[in-house]
Amino acid sequence: MASKKSLHIESSGQLCIYCGACVGICPLNCIYLDETRITFDEKVCTRCEICVKACPVGAIEID
Amino acid sequence: MPDLKTDVLVIGGGPAGSMTAKWAAKAGARVLLLEKRQEIGSPVRCGEGMSKDWLPEVGITPGRWINVEVEGARIFSPSEKVFEINEKHAGNEVGYVVERDEFDKQLAIDAANAGVEVKLKTAAVALLKDGGRIVGAKVKEFGQTYEVRAPVTIGADGFESQIGRWAGLPTNIAVRDMDTCLQYRMTNVDCDARYCDFFLGKVAPGGYVWVFPKADGLANVGIGVQVSQVENPADARTYLDRWIEHHPGYAKGKKIDMVGGGVSISPPLKQTVADGIMLVGDAARMIDPLTGGGIANGCIAGKICGTVAAEAVLSGDASKEFLQKYEKGWRVRLEEKLYRNWLAKEKLVTLSDATFDKIIDALSGVRLEKLSVHNILRAVRDKYPEVTKEFEAFL
Ligand SMILES: Cc1cc2nc3c(=O)[nH]c(=O)nc-3n(C[C@H](O)[C@H](O)[C@H](O)COP(=O)(O)OP(=O)(O)OC[C@H]3O[C@@H](n4cnc5c(N)ncnc54)[C@H](O)[C@@H]3O)c2cc1C
Ligand code: SF4
Ligand code: SF4
Repeated sequence: MASKKSLHIESSGQLCIYCGACVGICPLNCIYLDETRITFDEKVCTRCEICVKACPVGAIEID
Repeated sequence: MPDLKTDVLVIGGGPAGSMTAKWAAKAGARVLLLEKRQEIGSPVRCGEGMSKDWLPEVGITPGRWINVEVEGARIFSPSEKVFEINEKHAGNEVGYVVERDEFDKQLAIDAANAGVEVKLKTAAVALLKDGGRIVGAKVKEFGQTYEVRAPVTIGADGFESQIGRWAGLPTNIAVRDMDTCLQYRMTNVDCDARYCDFFLGKVAPGGYVWVFPKADGLANVGIGVQVSQVENPADARTYLDRWIEHHPGYAKGKKIDMVGGGVSISPPLKQTVADGIMLVGDAARMIDPLTGGGIANGCIAGKICGTVAAEAVLSGDASKEFLQKYEKGWRVRLEEKLYRNWLAKEKLVTLSDATFDKIIDALSGVRLEKLSVHNILRAVRDKYPEVTKEFEAFL
């Protein structure tokens, strides 16, 4: 959807510590953590930005 | 891989899952415990503090998972006035500082010794449904997908729980009901190994900074910040780094590992069972909303959950109605305190640093026989009557 902002989860391990905080809080259940791999369902996400706040290390950005 | 059948399928090999599995096996059920990681208990995502009074109740015996035994807890106000609580009065968090990976492994060993089958590197990827009931899970073991059928399935999959959501249980939590946490294990710090320390106020909005001592001069130094009070990305890390910087005894220390995670600080869930399924531990949001401790509650509920799971299997009835026995059982044991502590947390997160200072100052001079909200407020009222006005509902 063109009107949606873009959400970027830094998942290569440069910032992400694979803690799962974002996974547990996402109200739409669109983030998945598979030990050291984060995947994210772009289509379901509403860009509510809750995960951005929940991430203790700032690995999620929305712009 | 051929499909499997079992009586009780437990998803998640944390403390709550292992406890549930063990007690279901002891009560006569065939139990399969799945853990998606390759190693139970690792990586550790925990401050590793726990009380010890509940251990006999669930049949956990002391072992090498105990790292240090502390004498008490100290609560520091923003201007660092101290209230000391000895072990007898301390809540959920004080007693031992543990090696959490060893602890989780010990519980899995206890489960295995009770007859539980354990599978590592095996994740549940979907629930199997028959009409409205849950009848097992689709799992992936070492990349191979197959089905496990079971009359009773248990979601013990921790804070990130998917099982509850897949089953349609209302497990979502509000942003004000979650803390985002970060912790460093540090060496060469000046902590007092006799105490678990908690620092309150704006140093950690809606949460606290903790220092839990470990053997050999190590300490777990961590923070929880209420998500609704986060203003900028990475606030948890920013606040923790700032706290360390302002405490010379810690600023000189060195970090040797880092863990993060989410902790629910919510009121108890309205529903934790449905046809063929029960939730336990963090997956059922059983963390104490005041202390953030979840190990004890997960284990206590796990014993009840496992026992009821076996009864359901043996009686051939895993309906939601039958599983009410668990729903009621864990609530009788835990709900009142969870709810009371959630109310207390709701109040505490609104307090100013000045109020925290007054409360801790009032408490630092008195000896409380028993640690209760009532006793605390009475002591505060004697010294700062204006402060207790805010707490009339509790008195
Ligand atoms: C930073 C931090 C500090 C904490 N400090 C303390 C403390 O000092 N004291 C305290 O009492 N509590 C503390 N807690 C809370 C405590 O860690 C939890 O309450 C406790 O781990 C809950 O146990 P559990 O068995 O419910 O879940 P977990 O321990 O999270 O176990 C869940 C398990 O399920 C597995 N799993 C998940 N999904 C699947 C799947 N689909 N298939 C198979 N397996 C799966 C996971 O890999 C994991 O091993 C802390 C939490 C955090 C984040
Ligand atoms: S922005 Fe909201 S919906 Fe999207 S992943 Fe984050 S928490 Fe989920
Ligand atoms: S909350 Fe942040 S660090 Fe934790 S898993 Fe999500 S993106 Fe990674």
